[in-house]
Amino acid sequence: MNETHFLKVENLTKLFGGLAAVNDVSFSVDKGSIKAIIGPNGAGKTTLFDLLIGVQQPNSGSIWFEGKNIVGYKAHQIADLGMSRTFQTIQLFGNMTVLENVMVGRHARTTSEFTQVGLRLPKFLREERKIKEEALKNLELVGLGLQADKLADTLSFGQQRLLELARALATSPKLILLDEPAAGLNTYEIEELRNLIYKIRDMGITVLLVEHNMGLVMRVSDEVLVLDYGQVIAEGSPEQVRDDPKVIEAYLGVEVNDFGGEG
Amino acid sequence: MKFKRLVERIALTRPGDFLRRNLGPTVLLIFLLTFPLWEGSVSGPVHIKFLERMRLVGIYTIVAVGLNLLLGYAGQVSLGHGAFMGIGAYASSLLALRAHVPVYLTILMAMLVAVLISLIISPILRLRGHYLAMATLGFAIISFVVLREMTWLTKGNEGLMGIPKLSLPGVEVRTMGGEYYFIWIIAFLILIFSRNLVNSRLGRALKALHHSEVAAETMGINTSWYKIKIFALSAAYAGLAGALFAHIHSFINPGIFQLNLSIILLVMVVLGGMASIWGSIAGATVVVFLPKVLEAIPYWFGNKSLTQWFSNNYSNLEPMIFGIVLILVMIFMPSGLTRGLSDFFRYRRSPFVNPLKRGSGI
Ligand SMILES: Nc1ncnc2c1ncn2[C@@H]1O[C@H](COP(=O)(O)OP(=O)(O)OP(=O)(O)O)[C@@H](O)[C@H]1O
Ligand SMILES: [Mg+2]
Repeated sequence: MNETHFLKVENLTKLFGGLAAVNDVSFSVDKGSIKAIIGPNGAGKTTLFDLLIGVQQPNSGSIWFEGKNIVGYKAHQIADLGMSRTFQTIQLFGNMTVLENVMVGRHARTTSEFTQVGLRLPKFLREERKIKEEALKNLELVGLGLQADKLADTLSFGQQRLLELARALATSPKLILLDEPAAGLNTYEIEELRNLIYKIRDMGITVLLVEHNMGLVMRVSDEVLVLDYGQVIAEGSPEQVRDDPKVIEAYLGVEVNDFGGEG
Repeated sequence: MKFKRLVERIALTRPGDFLRRNLGPTVLLIFLLTFPLWEGSVSGPVHIKFLERMRLVGIYTIVAVGLNLLLGYAGQVSLGHGAFMGIGAYASSLLALRAHVPVYLTILMAMLVAVLISLIISPILRLRGHYLAMATLGFAIISFVVLREMTWLTKGNEGLMGIPKLSLPGVEVRTMGGEYYFIWIIAFLILIFSRNLVNSRLGRALKALHHSEVAAETMGINTSWYKIKIFALSAAYAGLAGALFAHIHSFINPGIFQLNLSIILLVMVVLGGMASIWGSIAGATVVVFLPKVLEAIPYWFGNKSLTQWFSNNYSNLEPMIFGIVLILVMIFMPSGLTRGLSDFFRYRRSPFVNPLKRGSGI
C-alpha cells in the first residue's frame, strides 16, 4: 500500500508547547511531480519541511519515503536516502567559496575516509576530482559557474538562493524541498527560477515547493496543498485550489480582519 | 567554451600542481632539516638556545594542529588538551618505566589511550560553545586531580623520574639533535596529513558544521559523529605530543599539565590563526620563543642583572604576558598571525584591523 507512493505523509503532528504548528497533516506526492504547499504566514509550512527532512521530530504520524517510514531518522540519514532542501533563511557556509559550498553537497555521495584523504591515496584523488566536476556542473545549471571562486558571503541575495539550490542538487536528491525560493527575487529572476524548476523536474527529481508568490505557484505546480493553522484546508490542482472558498477565506479573511482591526 | 575552461582550471590537476601545492612545505622541510647545521652560529650571539627550544616548538605544533582542526575548523572549543598531553605523557612513561615496553611503542600506545579517553568523554560534544568549554575545563581539572591522587601509579606530585629517552628499534635517541629530528619528522608528517585532511570532503564537512549544523546535516554530514572523530584525532595528537615531551625531559609531574597548559595551547591556535594548519607552527614558535627573547634582550644590552631578575620572575609573569599578547592579537589581528600576514601579501590588505570600526576583522 505505502510502497506505491513516492512520498506519503500520514497524520503528521508537531506541537510547540500548546501550539500545533503541524496538525494531523496527511498528503502524498507523486514521483516526478511538482507540488506546491501554500498558506498564510505561520501556517506551518517550514515546520512541515523540518519534519520531512529530519531536522525536527514529529509528535505523531508517519512519513513514508519510497516505502520506508523515515520518522526518527536523522537529517543526514534522510539526505543519504535522497531528500534535500533549501532554507527559507539562507544557510550557506559563508566562509567557504561558492564552489566549496556545492562540493559539501557531494558529501552524502562520497566515501573517502581519514586515511585515504590524509595520504592522498588514488581513490581520494579520483573522488575529489569527481566532486569538483559534479559541483561545477550544478553551479553551471543554476548559472553561477563564473562565481565559483568567490566567497559565498559576497554573492547577491538572489545568487545566494541559487547557490543553495545548487548545493541541494549536488546531493543527487530524488526529492527536493524548496522553501520560498522566490522570496527576494525580481520578476526576471523568478522567470529564471521557473525554468530551473522545470529543469530539475526533467532531471527526474520530484519537487516540493513552499512559496508565497502565487503567480509562480499557479504556473509551475501540478498540485497544490493549502495549510492554515497547521491543518490541510485544501488540496488539488492549482485551479481547484484557487477557486476554493476556504482558501480564499484563509488568505483574504486574515487580511480583511487585519484591515478592520487596524482601521 | 567558458565552462570547459573553468572545469580545466579548477577541477583538473595540471603538471605544476604538485609543486605549487608543496612549495611552502618543501621550503619548510629544507629549513627544518638544515636548521641544526647552522643554528649554532645564531644561538651563541643572541643568547637563545634555539635547538633545545625548537624541540618544544615541534611538540606544541603537533598539539596545536589538532586543536586547530577541532577549534579552528570544526568550531569546537577545548580546554582539555593540556590534560590529553598529560595522559599521553603518563601513559607512555608508565608503560616504559613499569612494563619496559620500548619507547617507540609506548608512544603509539599513549596515542591510543588518549583516543580511548576522548571517546569516553565524547558525549560532552553534544554541548555547545561555552558549555563545551566548561565541560572540557571540568575534564582538565579531573585529570589533574586523578594524576595527582593516584599515587600508587603516578607517584602524585612527586612525579615520575628517569623516564627513558626516545628510541627507534635498536637505537636510543640521546642527543638533542636526534631528538630534534625525531620530533620534527613526526610533526612534519602530521602537518602534511592534516593539511591534506582539511583540503578534502572531511575538511569541508568540518567547516560546514562549524558554520551551520542544520545545513551540514542536510548535506548528509553526520555532525555528531564528525565532532567525535575530530575530537579523538586531536586527542591522539595531544597524547603523542605529551609522550614526546615526557621522553625528552625524563621528568614529569601533574603540575606541568594543568589548566595553564591548555590555555597556552589555545593561545597558540589563536595567535597562529584559526583554521590555519601552518599557523600552528607560528603560534607554537611565538609561545616558546617569546619568553626566551624577552629574557635575552637585556643581555644584548649587556645588562646581566636584569636578565637574572627576569629569569627568576618570568614564570610568574608568563600568564600576564600571554594574556596581553592574546588581547592585542584578538583586537588588532583577529584572524591570527599567519592569516593576517598572508592576507597582507596576497591582497595587499593591512593585517591590522581598526577595532573601533564595526564589522572589521574576520
Ligand atoms: N522552534 C519553534 N518553537 C516554537 N514555535 C515555533 C518554532 N518553529 C515554528 N514555530 C511556530 O510554529 C508556527 C508555524 O511556523 P512555520 O515557520 O512553520 O510557518 P510558515 O508557514 O513557514 O510561515 P512563513 O510563511 O512565515 O514562513 C508559527 O506559529 C511559529 O511561530
Ligand atoms: Mg516558512
